[in-house]
Amino acid sequence: MESVTQEIPLEHFLMLSFILFTIGVYGVLARRNAVIVLMSVELMLNAVSINMVAFAVYTAPSLFAGIIFAIFIIAVAAAEVGLALAVILRLFRNRGTANIDEVDTLKW
Amino acid sequence: MSDAWVIPLLPVAGFVLLLLFSPWLPRKGDWLAIGLMAASFVLACLVAADLADAIGEAGVGSFAGISESREWFNVEGYIEIRMGTYVDQITVVMLFVVSFIALLVMIYSTGYMRGDRRYGWFYSIISLFTASMLTLVVADNLLLLYFAWELVGLCSMLLIGHYNDKQSAAEAAKKAFITTRVGDVGLLIGIIILFTQTGTFNIGEILRAAEEGEIAREWLTAAAVCVFAGAVGKSAQFPLHVWLPDAMEGPTPVSALIHAATMVVAGVYLVARMLPLFEVVRGMPELITALGLTTAVLSALMGLAQRDIKRVVAYSTLNSLGLMFVALGSGAVGAAMLYLFAHAFFKALLFLACGSVIHATEEQEVDKLGGLWSKMPITAPMFIVGALAMAGLIPLSGFWAKDEILVGIRHGHLNDIVAITVFATLPITSLYMVRLVMLTFFGEPKDQHVHEHAHESEASMSWPLMLLGALAAVAGFVVFEGVGEALGFHSGWLGFVYNLAEGPEEFHVNWGISILSVVLVSAGLVAGLWIWAGKAEPARRAAAFSPFLYRMFLNRFYIDEVYQAAVDYFVLAAGRVVAWFDRSIVNDTGVNGAGETAWYAGWLGKFAQTGKLPNYALAIVVGVIVMAIVAFGYRT
Repeated sequence: MESVTQEIPLEHFLMLSFILFTIGVYGVLARRNAVIVLMSVELMLNAVSINMVAFAVYTAPSLFAGIIFAIFIIAVAAAEVGLALAVILRLFRNRGTANIDEVDTLKW
Repeated sequence: MSDAWVIPLLPVAGFVLLLLFSPWLPRKGDWLAIGLMAASFVLACLVAADLADAIGEAGVGSFAGISESREWFNVEGYIEIRMGTYVDQITVVMLFVVSFIALLVMIYSTGYMRGDRRYGWFYSIISLFTASMLTLVVADNLLLLYFAWELVGLCSMLLIGHYNDKQSAAEAAKKAFITTRVGDVGLLIGIIILFTQTGTFNIGEILRAAEEGEIAREWLTAAAVCVFAGAVGKSAQFPLHVWLPDAMEGPTPVSALIHAATMVVAGVYLVARMLPLFEVVRGMPELITALGLTTAVLSALMGLAQRDIKRVVAYSTLNSLGLMFVALGSGAVGAAMLYLFAHAFFKALLFLACGSVIHATEEQEVDKLGGLWSKMPITAPMFIVGALAMAGLIPLSGFWAKDEILVGIRHGHLNDIVAITVFATLPITSLYMVRLVMLTFFGEPKDQHVHEHAHESEASMSWPLMLLGALAAVAGFVVFEGVGEALGFHSGWLGFVYNLAEGPEEFHVNWGISILSVVLVSAGLVAGLWIWAGKAEPARRAAAFSPFLYRMFLNRFYIDEVYQAAVDYFVLAAGRVVAWFDRSIVNDTGVNGAGETAWYAGWLGKFAQTGKLPNYALAIVVGVIVMAIVAFGYRT
């Protein structure tokens, strides 16, 4: 453990986290397939998890708060994926498409 | 004597009981109201007897009334208001007159109002009416007096509008209420001024303070004018007299009650009670006299041309009230109260006789009546007694009372014009009373159908008539010392009721005035007999001689029209401006404007809801970035 923190600076993890998060944002904004959007959301969640674990290890190794937070996020993300996939499945069954541009009835 | 507070309470009980239970009582409970009223009358007589004894013990000149009061409410160190009764000679006269006339009117109404849709309600309100008037006269403080005063106004409105399915009755009720209200507001302001200046509502203390000059002059003048305005409204003096003739829309017994006992004499009572206050204000007695005189003259002239028999009698009431105010203005309280006393009998008699005629013929226009003498053997002579008493023919009660007023005017320090004008109204008064009698009871029947169906009224209506007729004939004799002593007054009327400042007077016949008034009244009577005999040709010629004057009299000098125009062009115009402001500024711009603005903002804002997921996501991302920049900016 010690060696990792000495060899690789914190900024690298933060950069990885930032890149992952940006890819996720791009996916959510740009892609039209609901499944891809969902995957992008998961990417953003993972980016946040990496961020937290990195800070936990580098700044307060004796506290496990960040790591436990990451575990919670993973658990919640798993449940969320189950739910979101079910929603997308129902959507596809009803509308015959998973393209979110075509699903816009919730408006004025 | 300490029982005086029970007198108004009995009719109040009648009011409450009838209001709650009259539908379930036999005869709708009229016997209950009459019984309580009779008890009240007996109590009033007992109080009068007690008072006479008290005066006998104290000596006639030094008696100052008996007051009794208990604490009403008390704010420590700031204000204490006591409520109670004050009984002196004026109170006793009023108590007697009010309870007696109310009792007779109630008995009469059992016949007149039989089968009425709201019989129980009628008795209930008439009880409250009498109770409020009795409260008004026994009250020892202005606050209680004002409550009673307003109740009188309310009850008069309810009773004038008794036939509330009739448009004209509803409007007359409204007119009476609003017109008297103009004066009532003045009274309230006057009471407030007096309270702020003296710190008490007690009438006796206020009068003492006024006489000893403890009230600043300008406030005293303002208070006197305001209080007098109340009396003008209630007693239907010019220029607030317009409601009284219209009040004829009510049932006739109500008219009798209003005119003889419970309503219009309230103003006379108030002025008589507050006279010491008015007399210390310069110009106030003259103002009272002037208004009374104007009322008397105008009403006498208007009475000449009216066609409705009740209206003619109503104008004669205005005439009498004007005389009473003239008497009060010249300080002759005893004469004014004597006139009030006699007037109560003959005016109630006239109205009840009118009611009897109306009941018998269902007509009240003189154009449709005539020749009823033979058909109504009780009503007709009684009506004539009342009319002659009103005209003031010797030796009926009206003569003595009117002569006392004339003597009072001569004794007062008033201009001779007052006396001359009052003398001038005498023949006019007798003229229109004769006209009424001639057109109603003599001559050819103008409507054969009405004449055939006319009949004498039943006993419950004719007995009160006969009783009142007897009293209207003899009530004036109380001025004689012997008669007064026989009744337990210890002296004649003027030794019993007198202006406190001047003390009791001896009664003596003033021959000059008496002879002159008898001559004038007789002249009026004879002229009337000649004018309206047979087919009343001279009357027609007189009307044709000056159509302008005739129209002025008939249309009551267009005073009602002027008021109506004032209401239309000023009050209603102002109302329309306010209504426009309310509708277009407050409602359209303020209330609706706010609502429409919110609606429009919502309509604009709804287009942000596209329903497309990427748009929302973009908004979130942009929002987070902005917040991050802001937060970063704050940190550094």
